[in-house]
Amino acid sequence: MSRLIINELTKKYYNKIALRNVSLNFEQGKIYGLLGPNGSGKTTLMKVVAGLHKQTSGHVLINDQDLSYKTKTYVSYMPTENYLYPSFKVVDILKFYKDMYKDFRYEYALDLLNSINVKLDYKISNLSSGETAKLKTVIALSRDADIYLLDEPLNGVDVLARDTIMDIITKSYGENKIIIISTHLVSEIEKLLDTVVFLKEGAVELFCDAEELRQERQMSVEGIYKEVFGND
Amino acid sequence: MISLIKYEFIRKYKLASMILITMLALNLFLLTKGAGGSMSFLVVSLLALFVFYLADIIKMYSDDLNKKTGYMLFMTPNSGYKIISSKLLTAVIEGFALLLVYFIFILINGTYIIISTGNEIDYSQIIKAVDNLLSGSLGFNLGHVLVFLLAALAFLIAFITTVYTAMTIRKSIFSEIKFGGLFSFIIFLLINWLLSFLSSKFYDIITPYYNTVDTISGTGRVSAGGLAMILLPMIAVLIIQAVALTGISGYLLEKKINL
Repeated sequence: MSRLIINELTKKYYNKIALRNVSLNFEQGKIYGLLGPNGSGKTTLMKVVAGLHKQTSGHVLINDQDLSYKTKTYVSYMPTENYLYPSFKVVDILKFYKDMYKDFRYEYALDLLNSINVKLDYKISNLSSGETAKLKTVIALSRDADIYLLDEPLNGVDVLARDTIMDIITKSYGENKIIIISTHLVSEIEKLLDTVVFLKEGAVELFCDAEELRQERQMSVEGIYKEVFGND
Repeated sequence: MISLIKYEFIRKYKLASMILITMLALNLFLLTKGAGGSMSFLVVSLLALFVFYLADIIKMYSDDLNKKTGYMLFMTPNSGYKIISSKLLTAVIEGFALLLVYFIFILINGTYIIISTGNEIDYSQIIKAVDNLLSGSLGFNLGHVLVFLLAALAFLIAFITTVYTAMTIRKSIFSEIKFGGLFSFIIFLLINWLLSFLSSKFYDIITPYYNTVDTISGTGRVSAGGLAMILLPMIAVLIIQAVALTGISGYLLEKKINL
């Protein structure tokens, strides 16, 4: 059973507190939206879970294990930045993932790339931002991981590419998976979300079922987002 | 580990190919200048390869720590110890590969120099030179060479681990500090100062050992065994230093890293 438990997580930088006593419990079979404006701590939270940043205090348990290099086998993280080796071709990236991750589904990735018309012999440094975003999404979701962390998957992407990316995310949904998507483009992603987490200045402002929230407040998640963060 | 090393080389093969092609072109050009050009090439290329090697092994680790492309490596389910060991092994293998390349250039240019000065290549002379080396009639033998190479390898590994540890400390414990390159260099100097201090204390302790070692052979020269006995404590210190620093780097990558 896939599970991600975050308990009293704090991350401090030299002159800033990025996360303040964040406690969250993610369960399998749901798509979570990690929502908040720039600088609210979304990326930091994902990087801590992915093992790229170390927390100042608090605990993160992934499938009942403390964070370590071993928990990276359960987590597939898609950073918002272009982190792919620029000298590689698309096919080299796929081979890298195949060699590094036992759960990487090479054929599945090939099918997805074929369907979105990203060629294997394209060089990473020559890809457009839309192609890069699609490729990053495909390789992250081609792992048969328990937890997917997608950091701003729609950033800098045109409308058509956004639809493609959301299709890929929808295809990857499974009952034993946890998908966490961070974004500040709420309207585009809202229809995918089961649960929303609002992060404000590093603290959890709201953590609840998306549909219940909509019914309770009689407005869309985007409307609530504007209400919560509108004055910032 | 093998996969990590494989991708390190895949990432750098284009740059290495360009360096090799440039060297070949330069060599061909200088060969047209006669034996002097050939000698110049051997000196210049040795310096160039050494600078390239130093820059490349530092860049190999620095890029992964400081650029976003480092996520590719650090997201993989490999321990910090495995990652730093793979970097170290890659650097050592690369060092040997460059040494081999330079050796090939020596052979090519050496042959050219002999021919261009009107001499013929006398293979029996080469065999005789090797034979002399093996027999020790030149004052040193293959044993000396092997001991020296072992010491050089230990020194190289210790040097690389010191550089990598300085960079790891900067990126983990002092990840918030600006001017990372300069700060890494200061840490590198501090580590070296500390290691020199500890080594000197160690050598003070083992000085009586040196006095008991009989290093002179029957010919009145330092024997290979004697040389090994002299260098053994230094090699041991360098190996212990490399293992300890690799352990520290691995631990920091595992527990403290902030990319």
